[in-house]
Amino acid sequence: MKIVLLVLLLVVTPAMLHAQPGYIEVTASGNRQLRLAIDPPHQLGSPATVAAAKLASDVIAYDMNMSGVITAEVRSQLPNPRALSLLDIDFAPWLRTGSDLLVSGEFSLKDGRLTIEFRLFDVINRKLLTSKRYLGTAKELRRFSHSFSDEILRVITGEKGAFTTRIAYVSTQTGNKEIYIMDWDGYNPANLTKNGSINLNPDYSPDGREIIFTSYKHGNPDLYRRSLTHPAEVAVSSRKGLNITGSWSPDGSKIALSLSKDGDAEIYTLEKDGSHPVRLTVNPALDLYPTWSPDGKQLAFVSDRLGKPQIFIMNADGGNVRRLTTTGNYNVNPRWSPKGDKIAYSRMTDGGFNIFTIATDGSSDTQLTTEGNNENPSWSADGRFICFSSKRSSGNGVYVMRADGTGQTNMTQGKGVYFQPSWSLQ
Amino acid sequence: MKKSMVALLAVVSMVALLAGGCASNSEAVKKDTASVPAAAAPVAEKVVEPAKPVQPVETVKPAEQTRPAESVKEEAVSNKVAKPAEAQPAAPAAEINFETVYFDFDKSDLRQDARDVLSKNAETILKSLAGAKIKIEGHCDERGSAEYNLALGERRAISVQKYLTTLGVKGDSLSIISYGKEKPAVVGSDEAAWAKNRRAEFVLVK
Repeated sequence: MKIVLLVLLLVVTPAMLHAQPGYIEVTASGNRQLRLAIDPPHQLGSPATVAAAKLASDVIAYDMNMSGVITAEVRSQLPNPRALSLLDIDFAPWLRTGSDLLVSGEFSLKDGRLTIEFRLFDVINRKLLTSKRYLGTAKELRRFSHSFSDEILRVITGEKGAFTTRIAYVSTQTGNKEIYIMDWDGYNPANLTKNGSINLNPDYSPDGREIIFTSYKHGNPDLYRRSLTHPAEVAVSSRKGLNITGSWSPDGSKIALSLSKDGDAEIYTLEKDGSHPVRLTVNPALDLYPTWSPDGKQLAFVSDRLGKPQIFIMNADGGNVRRLTTTGNYNVNPRWSPKGDKIAYSRMTDGGFNIFTIATDGSSDTQLTTEGNNENPSWSADGRFICFSSKRSSGNGVYVMRADGTGQTNMTQGKGVYFQPSWSLQ
Repeated sequence: MKKSMVALLAVVSMVALLAGGCASNSEAVKKDTASVPAAAAPVAEKVVEPAKPVQPVETVKPAEQTRPAESVKEEAVSNKVAKPAEAQPAAPAAEINFETVYFDFDKSDLRQDARDVLSKNAETILKSLAGAKIKIEGHCDERGSAEYNLALGERRAISVQKYLTTLGVKGDSLSIISYGKEKPAVVGSDEAAWAKNRRAEFVLVK
C-alpha cells in the first residue's frame, strides 16, 4: 500500500518531490499513513465554530479514515489573528502535532443558502494543494463535504473518491421487501418503492439517475425501471416466467438479465426500454445474475451447468464461455470491479455465505469476510470499497469494507433485514 | 387469492364425497406428513388457527390415530386454507385435496412421496376440477442465494407441471410461478423448517 502510494505521489506531484525531499521521507517510511488534520471550517463573520462546521469536518474525517489511505483527525484551531489572507496559515501548530496535511475552510449560511470553501494544504511544504467552493442549500452540506473528500483522494492518490455516490438496497422494515437508497455512509435513507409486494435486486443506471429492479407487484416477477426523482415504475420486461437479476450495461444502452420464457433461466440482453431481446446462453441449466465488464465486452454470470452454481465469463455476444471459479461448490452473486481486473462474488460453505474476490483469469481467489452470512457484493465506482449485505452477531445491515476486506462497517441502523445492496457509479 | 379460496371451498362438498375414494392413496400421503418433524408444529398451528373446521374431513381417512392433529395442520398449511370459519358456516367439512409436494436441497426432481402426492392431486383435478386453472408455486428454503432460488423454485414448479401432464392433466390448465425463498411456509433455520419450505404448492386460479 505504501509503495503504491509513493508511486502515485511520484506521478502526481513530481515538482513538489524534487523541491522538498523531506515530504517523501514521511510517506516513504512505510511506517504510517499520511496524517490529515481537519480544522473545522470557520463561519465568516462569526468567531464560533457551529454545528455545520462540525458536521462538515466529521464527514471528511470519516471518509478519509474509511479510505485507508489517510488517517484524519478533527482538531480546532483558532484563526490566525495576524493572517493577511485566508491562505495565510500558521502551520507551526499543525507541524507540532505531526500532521502532513491540513483541511481548512470558511462558510456562510444565511436563509438556508450555503456557501462553503474547503482547502487542502501540504503542511510540511506549506503549500496549497487544492481548493473547492460550493454554492447550494444547507441540506447539501454533507454532499459538499463528501465531494471535497473525493477531491482530497484525487490530489493525494491520483484517483478521485466515490463518496458522493449512493447505495440502493432491499429492506423489510415495512414488513415487505421494498427498495431504498442511501448515501454511501448510510445517511439520508429514502424509501423508493411502496407497493407492498416483493421487490428485488435494484441496479443503478450508469448515470446514477435510474434504477431497475424486479417486482411481483403485478403477480409475476417482472423487471421495472424508475427514476430516483419520479415515482413512476415502468415495466421493462414482463415476459412469461422470470424477469430477474437485471444489470445495466456500462454505456447505459442495454440491460442484461435472466429470462425463463424459453422454459429455463437464460441470459439475455435487452435495449433499455425492454425491446430487442438477444439470447446469450443456450443451456438447459440455470443461467442468471449477469454482470458486465467495464468495457462492455464481456459478461460474468452464474450457471449450474456443471451441477452446482459456479461463475462463468462469456463474451457479450454469448461466445467463448469459460468457467471462472473452480474452488467451492456454490459460488454466486458476481460483480465486476470498475477497474476490470477482479470479480467479487459470494460463496456458500457449511458456515454460510462469505464474500470473495478473484482475478478475471481465475487467480488470486481471496476470502474477504469470515463472520456471519455475507452476500451480494457490489463495488464502489472507484474500486476502493465493496458493499454487501451481512447478517452477523454484531448487527445486520448493509456493510462497506475496503476492497482488501479491512474496515468492515455497518452503514445501516434501521430495523428489518437488509438485502441486495447495489452501489451507484455516480 | 381470497376469492379463489372461496371458490375452492365451494367445490369442496363434492371433494368431500371423493374423500373415501382417495383413501387408498392417503397411506403414502401420511408417510410424507409424518416425516415432517414435530418441531415446526407451533408455527403451523398459528397459521392454521382460523381454519379449525377442516378437521372433520381428515377424520374420514384411516389411521388418523397416529398423529391426527398434526396431519390436519400440515395439510391445511399446504393448501393455504386461511379462510375464517364464520365465512363458510354451511360447509364445515371444507377441504381441498391438494397436497404440497416437497423436495430435497438444491433438487427439483420428484421423490417417490412427491409422485404419490401428485397422483392424488392429478386425480382431484381430473375428477373435480375439469376446466379449472391451477397455479403451481415453486418455493425454496432460506439457504442458497435469493436469485438462484428464484430459478430453482421455477424448476421445481416446472417439474411438477410436467409430471401432472404425464398423468393426463391438460397443460393449458396449469400455470407456474416461482417465489424462490421469498415466501417461506415456516419460519425457522433448522432442517425441519427447511424441509417444509422446499416445496411446490397448488393454488386454484379464479
